[in-house]
Amino acid sequence: MVTSSLTTSAPVNPAAAPPSPRLLGRAGKSLLSALWLWLALVGYPAVAASASASSSASSSGSEADSEFIAAQAHAKKTFQEKIVPFVSTYCSECHGDKKQKGGMTFRSALKNPGGSAFRRQWKQSVATLKAHDMPPDDAQKHPSEEEAQTFIDWVSNMKYLSPKDPGTFVIRRLNRMEYANTLHDLLGVQPEVAFDLPEEVLGAGYLNSLSPLLMEQYLVITNEALSLALAPEEAPPNALQKELFGPTPAAGTNARDAARVAARSLARKAFRRPASESELAVLMNVFDLAIADQRSYFGALRMVLKAALVSPQFLFITPAVEPELGKAIMPVDDYQLACRLSYLIWATMPDPELAALADGGKLNNPEVLNAQVKRLLSDQRSRALFDGFGAQWLGLDKLAGKAFDTVKFPQMTQPMRSAMYDEARLLFDEIVRNNGSVLQFVDCDFTFLNNTLAQVYGLGTEVAGPEMRRVALSNPNRGGVLGMPGVLATTSFPDRTSPVNRGVWVLEQILGEHVPPAPPNVPSLEKQDKKKIANLSLRQRTEMHRTNAVCANCHKILDPIGFGLENFDAIGRWRDADENGTAIDATGELPGRKAFSSPKELKTIIAGRADDLSRNIAEKLLAYALCRQLEGYDDVVLDGMTEQIAKDGYRMQTLITQVVTSYPFRHRRVRELEGASK
Amino acid sequence: MKKNWLIDRRTCLRGLGASLALPLLESMGWAEQPKSKGFKPPVRLGFMYMPHGVIMDQFWPKSPDTFLSEPPPALESLRSVLHQCLMLKGISGVPISPLNGAPHALELSTWLTATLPDASRRSIVNIAISADQIAANYIGGLTELPSLELATMPQTHKENQEGLNEAYYSHCSFRSPTQPVPAETNPRNVFNRLFKDKQGGQPAGNARTSIKADKLDRGMLDLVLGGAKDLRRNLGAHDQRKLDEYLDSVRSVERRIAAVELRQKEAALEAAGVSVARRNDSDSPPIEIKIPEGDRRSEYMKIMCDLTVLSFQTDTTRVSTYIGSTPNGVSYPELGFTDQHHSVTHHNNQADKVDKVAKITEFNVSQFAYMIQRMQSLTEGEGMLLDNCIMLWGSGLEDGNKHSRENLPFLIAGRGGGSIQTGRFVPGVSANQGDLLGTLLTCAGIPLDRQIGIGTKLISEIRSA
Repeated sequence: MVTSSLTTSAPVNPAAAPPSPRLLGRAGKSLLSALWLWLALVGYPAVAASASASSSASSSGSEADSEFIAAQAHAKKTFQEKIVPFVSTYCSECHGDKKQKGGMTFRSALKNPGGSAFRRQWKQSVATLKAHDMPPDDAQKHPSEEEAQTFIDWVSNMKYLSPKDPGTFVIRRLNRMEYANTLHDLLGVQPEVAFDLPEEVLGAGYLNSLSPLLMEQYLVITNEALSLALAPEEAPPNALQKELFGPTPAAGTNARDAARVAARSLARKAFRRPASESELAVLMNVFDLAIADQRSYFGALRMVLKAALVSPQFLFITPAVEPELGKAIMPVDDYQLACRLSYLIWATMPDPELAALADGGKLNNPEVLNAQVKRLLSDQRSRALFDGFGAQWLGLDKLAGKAFDTVKFPQMTQPMRSAMYDEARLLFDEIVRNNGSVLQFVDCDFTFLNNTLAQVYGLGTEVAGPEMRRVALSNPNRGGVLGMPGVLATTSFPDRTSPVNRGVWVLEQILGEHVPPAPPNVPSLEKQDKKKIANLSLRQRTEMHRTNAVCANCHKILDPIGFGLENFDAIGRWRDADENGTAIDATGELPGRKAFSSPKELKTIIAGRADDLSRNIAEKLLAYALCRQLEGYDDVVLDGMTEQIAKDGYRMQTLITQVVTSYPFRHRRVRELEGASK
Repeated sequence: MKKNWLIDRRTCLRGLGASLALPLLESMGWAEQPKSKGFKPPVRLGFMYMPHGVIMDQFWPKSPDTFLSEPPPALESLRSVLHQCLMLKGISGVPISPLNGAPHALELSTWLTATLPDASRRSIVNIAISADQIAANYIGGLTELPSLELATMPQTHKENQEGLNEAYYSHCSFRSPTQPVPAETNPRNVFNRLFKDKQGGQPAGNARTSIKADKLDRGMLDLVLGGAKDLRRNLGAHDQRKLDEYLDSVRSVERRIAAVELRQKEAALEAAGVSVARRNDSDSPPIEIKIPEGDRRSEYMKIMCDLTVLSFQTDTTRVSTYIGSTPNGVSYPELGFTDQHHSVTHHNNQADKVDKVAKITEFNVSQFAYMIQRMQSLTEGEGMLLDNCIMLWGSGLEDGNKHSRENLPFLIAGRGGGSIQTGRFVPGVSANQGDLLGTLLTCAGIPLDRQIGIGTKLISEIRSA
């Protein structure tokens, strides 16, 4: 079935991993050899099992697989020879078997370095090492800058220690929006019919759980949707009923046979895949039950439809293919792939074209899949990708409910907030639909405004009317998300800007860096003696972070970015002086002696990190698409994706296509790999 | 084998699945108990949460002797019902190491579980069944709704401190270690779900209709449930666990439909002149619910408190949990400032911030006080509704400034049917959160077959002699 190089995207980072022919490292002299043996026994077969599990992949896939295995062997060697000694020398005294300061120990991570649970721990150690938080100042030994840097490089290779694994893909419940849209597509009811369902966290943090309360709501909503969409039980069928249920069986024909045809067709739509014989039998039992209860033919079919809509096959995206015995990893079947794609981009069920491709088994063809991605993106319904993913990525989903000081910022009305949200949505949409470069998110010379929002830009006289329209920007400090009022407002406090929040936001949301949380018991700004700070600007007060060694490490990176955006007030208006009349000083320097003196120059520096930016968006979108946090092997996948995206000029559609065609998006693990290796 | 909290076979409803029987429900309702002198109304359990801790010297009473005469400032609103309250100082929280960087993701999620989430696999929810759900498993089968979960804010805060799943931030009820229970945030929906056809059949506002008593629906769900079991056999192990949540939920809905049927049958009997009253003549009539317009937090919280009172009063449920506020940067414009709750709790003893935290605490306590006072104003059996309740108000942090959790602020109200000796402040209790939850459940007559979370014992100071 799977026929292309799309199956795996694991090119080896050449700088990081000279492939070694040896799959297993030599046993060391220290006690590490036991550990190593353990790794060899447990770790390797798991990989072999998973590789064979996905052996339905093509030849070019297995070529990439062999590269991966080589990289893995190299990573194991590096781990044993470099990382373990480094950790033993600099970390284990406090974070080892005997002591576990701060509750943190490397004991388990050293035993199973590729374990998905430890991806975070390794990344955290790199972050604290980079920030010079660790080892602490009073530690006996400190690594040299060079040693630290090599450790950081080694850790980036730890991803190869994870077995090739698409991750768990548990059957997923449709989220609130998906459920509402699917009811709309099936029955023509307004999505609002489902809006009493609780709001949910989408993407990586999606809970995917079901509760009695939710189930009860599904039943109530189904009843309501059916009474809105279908004619009353005694009345003759309306157009939708005729379409869904087919014609009234002619006198003398077997009504049950006709009902069976109708049920099969209903199930194909509602389950988004063909129903199995036993699933069909369940629906027919419902039909019989309703007939026995004196319902009419159409009344009984209505009951069948209701049963379908409260079935797990409707509420969840379920596979059409059962797991094969002995296989841990399987390709996602075409029906499920159609669903994954459609729910990712449209937040609704596959349309007839996508459904037909799934029926024909064509969707695993990469060209077909790519063409479908483009088609879905060009459709209006793709705004769901912003509402679900984009808004969360930029933090704009918080804007509607955020509190602002109404005395200082009476402008933050609901129309203003919607305009701010729409501005970002339309920019996202523009970049997606025109297949523009993701760098435009940071640096572009246009935006979308209406009269309300134009006031924030100081363009109130130039933009009239409530409708949003594209506006060319002549001010280079604007354009892109860094100077976008919605973003600037969500990263502020209710009554003032927060350079720190803005700095963290840019690092984490735009560049994908990991900012360690502030250590506990750190005095916040306001602790500073009021008299002493009365005459200081916010910048000068914030800079006091750097007088404290613990704070300085992170804040020397965070704060300059925030300062660079200080010309924008807490709702994104330009200002030359702060509330106290102190002139804004937007100069700063980022690591690598990159100095700037205005938002415009800061933007240019950030946009210069194209690889980080595109990798970050790809990483966030992949996690959103998979509805889980990313784990070990996903980093290998991301490497490949980032390379392809860069090759194609960082285009947004390429980025989305890379996610959709990625190994974890198109495969599912049906049982634990460890289990398969036993 | 699966351990089960359900000890009494008669109440074992979760496992019954399709074999629902109305007579079972009827025979178990307290309405059917003989209305002799010895009749005892059931004990109800309620929980209400506020995040971020308190200002200690404004919350803890000065001494046991002056507890009633000079309550601390934070408890001023409770003055008239303090004799129905019990305060214990010295209840410690769950130690959060190795998740030290997640004080706020843990304050709510550990509150009713007294358990630390699984730190080895943080991206999925894996904690423990919470005390309210243990209670719901045991006494929930006796009422139309096993338990009621309410919240003021949507449970959608997206912060994953220490890499912990976002759900830890905004959930405190867990039906199983991996299944958080979502809370209702719309009072209209809560009302319609619980009482629509009890109070004159008028749905509140334009919210949707509630669940209907429909035998055919019940039959249909039975068949769907059977089909889901077929599907289950064809799924992978992870998928199967997910589907179990579905099976459990459908069973619960079937029970609800059966309960609504019962309710309507009773109404019909009553209309025909046959009294099946669940109530004693001396009991207060059900309180009236008026859902206010507008978005004042106090009015919103009051209506949620009213709904809790009404559902207890009508014995619609015996277990309720209300997340009055969540640890996610909520602000209280009604109090005259927009500072976020979380930011002001990092006050570093700066007077204006301390003052704001104190105001927010007073505000939250006063909502709880409102609920308690209502319960104290309603007669039930030979006493007041509050006499038969155990209401716990608290926070998962002691001091939001330092994230400390050694002396968690807790307030107990109600006598638990005589099991709790109120009107006291007991300092120097040496116990933990698990002990407290375990003791309260025991007071509510729920036999535990193991401790709750980190609990090791019962707190003898709570119980009446």
